[in-house]
Amino acid sequence: MSSTTSRRDFLSAGLALPVLGAGSSMGFWSPDTPAPEAASPIKLSYRTLGKTGLKVTTVGFGCMITSDPSVVQRAADLGITYFDTARGYQRGNNERMVGAALGSKRKQVVLSTKTEARDKAGQLAELNTSLRELNTDYVDIWYLHGKGSPADIHDDMIEALQIAKQQGKARFIGVSTHSGQQQLLPWMAQKGVFDVVLAAFNFSMDPGMEQAIDAAAKAGMGVVAMKVMAGGSRNQKLAQNGAMLAALKWVVNHPNVATTVPSITDMDQLEQNLKAMGNPLSADDHKLLAAHLELIQPLYCRMCGKCEGTCAQGLPVADVLRFLTYADGYGQFALGREKFLELPATQIAARCSDCAECTVKCPFGVQVSDRMARAQELFA
Amino acid sequence: MRASQLALLPILLAAGVAHAQDYLSCQLAPGWAQSEPKRQYTADNLYDYKDGGAEGYLIYGFVRMDGITCKSGASTLAIDVSEMNDADSAYGVFTANLDPKLPIARIGMGGQIQPQSALFAKGKYYIEIVAIDPNPSGDHTAELRAFVTGMQQHLQGRDTPPEALAWFPQESLASIRLVPESVLGLKQLKRGYVATYKQGQAFIVLEASPEAAAGVLKELRSHFDGASTAPVGDEAFQAKAPYMDGICIFRKGRYLGGYANLPAPQEACSQAAKLAAKLP
Repeated sequence: MSSTTSRRDFLSAGLALPVLGAGSSMGFWSPDTPAPEAASPIKLSYRTLGKTGLKVTTVGFGCMITSDPSVVQRAADLGITYFDTARGYQRGNNERMVGAALGSKRKQVVLSTKTEARDKAGQLAELNTSLRELNTDYVDIWYLHGKGSPADIHDDMIEALQIAKQQGKARFIGVSTHSGQQQLLPWMAQKGVFDVVLAAFNFSMDPGMEQAIDAAAKAGMGVVAMKVMAGGSRNQKLAQNGAMLAALKWVVNHPNVATTVPSITDMDQLEQNLKAMGNPLSADDHKLLAAHLELIQPLYCRMCGKCEGTCAQGLPVADVLRFLTYADGYGQFALGREKFLELPATQIAARCSDCAECTVKCPFGVQVSDRMARAQELFA
Repeated sequence: MRASQLALLPILLAAGVAHAQDYLSCQLAPGWAQSEPKRQYTADNLYDYKDGGAEGYLIYGFVRMDGITCKSGASTLAIDVSEMNDADSAYGVFTANLDPKLPIARIGMGGQIQPQSALFAKGKYYIEIVAIDPNPSGDHTAELRAFVTGMQQHLQGRDTPPEALAWFPQESLASIRLVPESVLGLKQLKRGYVATYKQGQAFIVLEASPEAAAGVLKELRSHFDGASTAPVGDEAFQAKAPYMDGICIFRKGRYLGGYANLPAPQEACSQAAKLAAKLP
């Protein structure tokens, strides 16, 4: 996959970004912003999106939770070239906002949207609606939205994608996926009809996911990464210790990922994310991410299912850990307890302290017996 | 949690379950029958159902979703009830999903019924009903209205929209929505209502205290080079800025409010003064 880095001055709208690496300073609000040479220009890095040949900035823009069009406009002015939305986001309101925000910049950027419709006719009808709301004749990439396995992708869905391509309504076609990716990506690579995959990918995932990404890229598919901050934008701990930028850089620096679509809701986040381009992942970044992994590793179940049937007392370990996450992770104690109390009486009464040694070994290092004991203390 | 509260939990939970069964029934309209088991999602697994769209719920304080699928002949209705943190959040997610071109009907705190979908918010609940019909132009307004009416009767909670909505000047008002973070794309304005007019936008953000609001205003002002003091509310500034044109932001007690995207800052302040006058 080709990769280039170029410098660009961003002053078409009288704007200048603060010096890279400096603290957040929104000096760009002034219409009398200093001349280009007064502020260090930002570095944009580009990659080619697989066989599409599209040149995209390695940091794109996930528009889903963006409320204000000014943030999208500014990103486009700054040279971000990839914008992602979906028909289903806010029942179409997001597409409408993105279309209005991009305005005359539309043809200078790569714009993607998605369909959740379950059949060919529905998909093609949704595409027409998307084009109308986005105020454009075509989208650059049209995805099947959120598929978790090859069985979710029927032949008539692929046919709809191909029809859209033939009609010129979608230049390229792909699939977005949040789950089952390690099976789905190799299948897509083998299928050979998809141009792009939009996959969840971040530093906290197991190495198998990296292999799936590599397989997709090797087959010529452009790889777009989402969930790149591992929930970081809503994760106060990650935000507080500055690891969000490191998390984004981790994905951006992966050679087989062409671009990323972090959610961006304000100018500060935009400015922060731009710093991920043109900056290698440093030793400090690695330390930050390692520390964060260490923080979450003993606590949160990855739902891989490998502990199933290994508890000597027959406890459904993954389920109980999930109930604990409701309480500890989301502050939903009542729901966690409700679910725990739905277990059979023998499982509610079981205590991990009755076992001399825990037979459950989590491949991700979750301290199972400690977490199970906490759930029993909290809920039972 | 105290022991007495813990003792009450099973009763409260049981009441919640029974309640859910009341409002999630395919029998709320004649001729409809449940076609698959009820579904339930939490913040933990909403992605399984809503894919990336889940974030649009989570950002508004999503707690859980209960859903049911009903069939009548070849038509299907997917009914989903999202419980949010509070009534304002439920109204907020409704405002994010409504069709801004259509009027808001007096259904619960507010709602919209179209031929193939219905949305409304009542109390801390946000309800979506979507018709899946082999005929793309099939009109299910009557059935949707029957379900909405039935569900409203069983759902507990507030029927009146957030009072902040009444504070915005009504002339030329196009829509109002709750922005869950970064109002006007500004990190400092964490969460608030944004009203869109034929020209310009107004906003209201509530801070924890007048001191906190003053701190935010000061921080914001420092980002707008050339900002000048304006006589609105307790304190205010006006400026002209890229992407925002004329802007005027004021503080009144715990509230921050203002106008943006008007041709001149003075005009923004003139409008902002009207908004400030309506704030408590």
